[in-house]
Amino acid sequence: MQFSGLYKNSQVFKIALGSAIVVVCYIASVFYTKMQELNTSVEVISTANETQLELEKLLSIISIYETNLRNYIITKDESYIQNRFLKRGIIELNIKRLKTLASHNAIRNKDIVTLSNLIDERFGLFRQTLTIAQAKKVNADELNEKLLQSGASTEKMREFVYKIINREDVSVRYHNLNHQFELQDSIISAFLLVILSLLILLLSYNKMRVDIYELKKANDELKFLNYSFSNAEKIAGFGYWKYNLSTDKYTFSDNFYRLMGMDPDKQKPSAKVLGKYVHPDDYESIMKTHYDSLKTLEDSTAMCRYVLPNGEIRYIMAVGSFTKNSKGHTVKIGVNYDITEQFQKTLALEENNKELKLINAELESFNNIASHDLQEPLRKIQLFISRIEEREKSLSDQGKEYFSKIRLAANRMQTLLIDLLNYSRTVKGDKVFEKIDLNSTIAQVIQDLAQNIEDKKAEISVGKLPTIMGIPFQMEQLFVNLISNALKYSKEDTAPVISITLEKIGTKERYNAEPINNEVFHKIVVSDNGIGFHQEYADKVFLLFKRLETDSKYTGTGLGLAICKRIVDNHGGFIRVKAKPDRGAQFSIFLPKNIA
Amino acid sequence: MKLYINYDGIVACRVILQETLERLNIKYQLLDLGEIEISDDVTEETFAELQATLDRYSIHIVNNQKSQLIQKIKDTIVEMVYEKDKMPNTTISHYLSEKLNFSYGHLANIFSENTFTSIENFIIIQKVERAKKLIIEEELTLTEISYKLNYSSVAYLSSQFKKVTGLTPSTFKRIVDKRRRLTNN
Amino acid sequence: MLTNDKPLRILLADDDEDDRTFFSEAIAELKMTNQLTLFNDGKDLMEYLNDPESDLPHILFLDLNMPYKNGLDCLKEIRANPRFKNVSVAIYSTSSSEKDIEDTFIEGANIYIKKPNNFSELKRVIKEVVHMNWQFHTSGLNKETFFFSI
Repeated sequence: MQFSGLYKNSQVFKIALGSAIVVVCYIASVFYTKMQELNTSVEVISTANETQLELEKLLSIISIYETNLRNYIITKDESYIQNRFLKRGIIELNIKRLKTLASHNAIRNKDIVTLSNLIDERFGLFRQTLTIAQAKKVNADELNEKLLQSGASTEKMREFVYKIINREDVSVRYHNLNHQFELQDSIISAFLLVILSLLILLLSYNKMRVDIYELKKANDELKFLNYSFSNAEKIAGFGYWKYNLSTDKYTFSDNFYRLMGMDPDKQKPSAKVLGKYVHPDDYESIMKTHYDSLKTLEDSTAMCRYVLPNGEIRYIMAVGSFTKNSKGHTVKIGVNYDITEQFQKTLALEENNKELKLINAELESFNNIASHDLQEPLRKIQLFISRIEEREKSLSDQGKEYFSKIRLAANRMQTLLIDLLNYSRTVKGDKVFEKIDLNSTIAQVIQDLAQNIEDKKAEISVGKLPTIMGIPFQMEQLFVNLISNALKYSKEDTAPVISITLEKIGTKERYNAEPINNEVFHKIVVSDNGIGFHQEYADKVFLLFKRLETDSKYTGTGLGLAICKRIVDNHGGFIRVKAKPDRGAQFSIFLPKNIA
Repeated sequence: MKLYINYDGIVACRVILQETLERLNIKYQLLDLGEIEISDDVTEETFAELQATLDRYSIHIVNNQKSQLIQKIKDTIVEMVYEKDKMPNTTISHYLSEKLNFSYGHLANIFSENTFTSIENFIIIQKVERAKKLIIEEELTLTEISYKLNYSSVAYLSSQFKKVTGLTPSTFKRIVDKRRRLTNN
Repeated sequence: MLTNDKPLRILLADDDEDDRTFFSEAIAELKMTNQLTLFNDGKDLMEYLNDPESDLPHILFLDLNMPYKNGLDCLKEIRANPRFKNVSVAIYSTSSSEKDIEDTFIEGANIYIKKPNNFSELKRVIKEVVHMNWQFHTSGLNKETFFFSI
């Protein structure tokens, strides 16, 4: 992984290339040197060999000369000595050649000179011998002596030559050996050179291949992006534009034209083109925004209307921001998109909203009238009835009874209206949530109901309750209703015992088939020992106007629990009840622990 | 800047009396609750001036015996509620009749004939008044206040408080706090 | 019945004719020496009060819902003026909303009366209010914390 990373890094690559070149040059120079050495040693060997040859030839000629002379001496045949000068000439040639061969070698040169002298001496002896041999009368002793001398000279020469030859031989062998080594070295260097070059070639090729591949890939992607962009333009309904501040040139994308209802590239891009299609009322302001942004180089956003050639009006949002292009020019690039649909939808929504608000306001005032303003005439009725009942003593008993009934009915209506008013308050109410310590809420409620509690001699026990976020008045109303109920629906001869506690939510507890837990909810239980009811009515009790107990002993409007449910709903919680006839009821209130 | 005042009406009253009498050069002697002995040779003018000055402070010179007695009853009750940290162990009727040397029945009659309330009710009103002061002072909890005023429980205090004012002590406190904030803005 | 020599001066501002009638009848039946003045709007009431020649009442009964100037505005005006600091203001209203009641006390009302729906109750209420107010006047109790809700 690291290697390929290094591989890609061009700096490292340059260094690698540099060092590779250095190594190649070095090896090449080593190779060259080796080749040179090889050359030299070959030359040396061949020189030595040739020298050897010449020396052998020389000896052989001397030998032939000797033989010829001997033959003449024996036979006195002239033909044996006819070519003796020729042979001498050849020997001279040999010497010359030897001298040439030995020209670089000082020792050899000396040897050749010595040899030449020896040869001269020998030939001197030859001549002397010949002279003696050619005489009419051959002096045998002289001849013998001369022959002995010649023999010795030849022997000497031969020895000397063999010495040279040996020396040459040794040198040759030594050079041969060297030659072997040098050959090996050269081969190795050549081999290394080839390998390295191949390696470098391969790596370079690979890198080039990878780079080209990447380039091609990038290119393809770019092509694809361009393609999808112009497609996306069309699909999304926006037009891309560009304005180069340095060249004062506009560029419009195909879709830009299409947005204006024109064919692409029908006209040269310029601000004038816009002028033709932007709504005359909007043209000035949008151009102003645009030109201002050119001065401040800040992003601009503006909305305007296009008037298409077919008369249609479209709403267009134009956004633009600034950047620099590859040449360093400041360029404003932007997008115009068609927001006609959204705009119209938003308008429709706003209309709807307005209508809804009106309806709401109407409903509220209706509620107000229904509960509040109805109370007024009702009160009057009650007042006048009480006046009549007080003053008109001449009323018949029947009349009195009737008035009494009217009064009761009116009272009942009043109670109902009050409860309705309370209910509507919990529906509308200020939804301002505050931190509420439920302990003080209960304390307040107990104070409010103090008289009632005292009258019934009720025992109320309160556990430690949590602090929640809620609407204070509503929380009070909730508990007032529940505790009033507990007081109201108590058993005739038993003092009510009411408890309000915080309970842990059991693992089996469910709401709407979903499990609930202590992380999310507080569970507060208000339980009493009153008359209770059948569990099958557990859901119904929370219904508006639902009363279970129609015995006149227990006055109620059927709204109390509906109000409780409403309040708990307002706080994002829920309420339910467990009850048994004659065993009282337990109301469980679940309130969320965190109200966002 | 704002100042919060805590005052003792009884002491203030006394001081005003003293200063006024001294300024008018009337020789006086402060006797028991609501009683001052002044010399008999005070002119009618001076007396009128005295009355007028004291009227400004809502201090009235009680003219007849009945009024005097009633004032005494009131003062005794106030003293009982305020100056003794704990209410007396004897019953109130016993305490009053002892202190004022009249039978309780007589006191009760005179009191209710001439004021709009019974003695009991007046006591309750005074206790609630003191409770109000203590609540505003914020130094004691409701439990401590109810103990100080000789109630058997907070519930009983709340109940009486509500009878007299129509409000619970906490509502009362809330209103006072909000009113204070309002008048301060 | 009052041990004060001066009669009790009462003002009532209520736009409802029947309520005004009931009120004066109730006062009459209570047999208290009094001077009752009726107004049918807050505007008239304030004009009267602001007149330096007018006698200030002991108690002012104020309905909340009145057409030209409602009770709450009157209350605010009255409590903003130190001239009226000894006048007890009783709000006389049909609303029983706790919030409304508290708000009037916060604005400086001393008494809150929920309009009763029968006549004897009305008499009882007025009697209690008058007595309670008198207590505060005569027993050196604190006007600032005089709150009475009935």
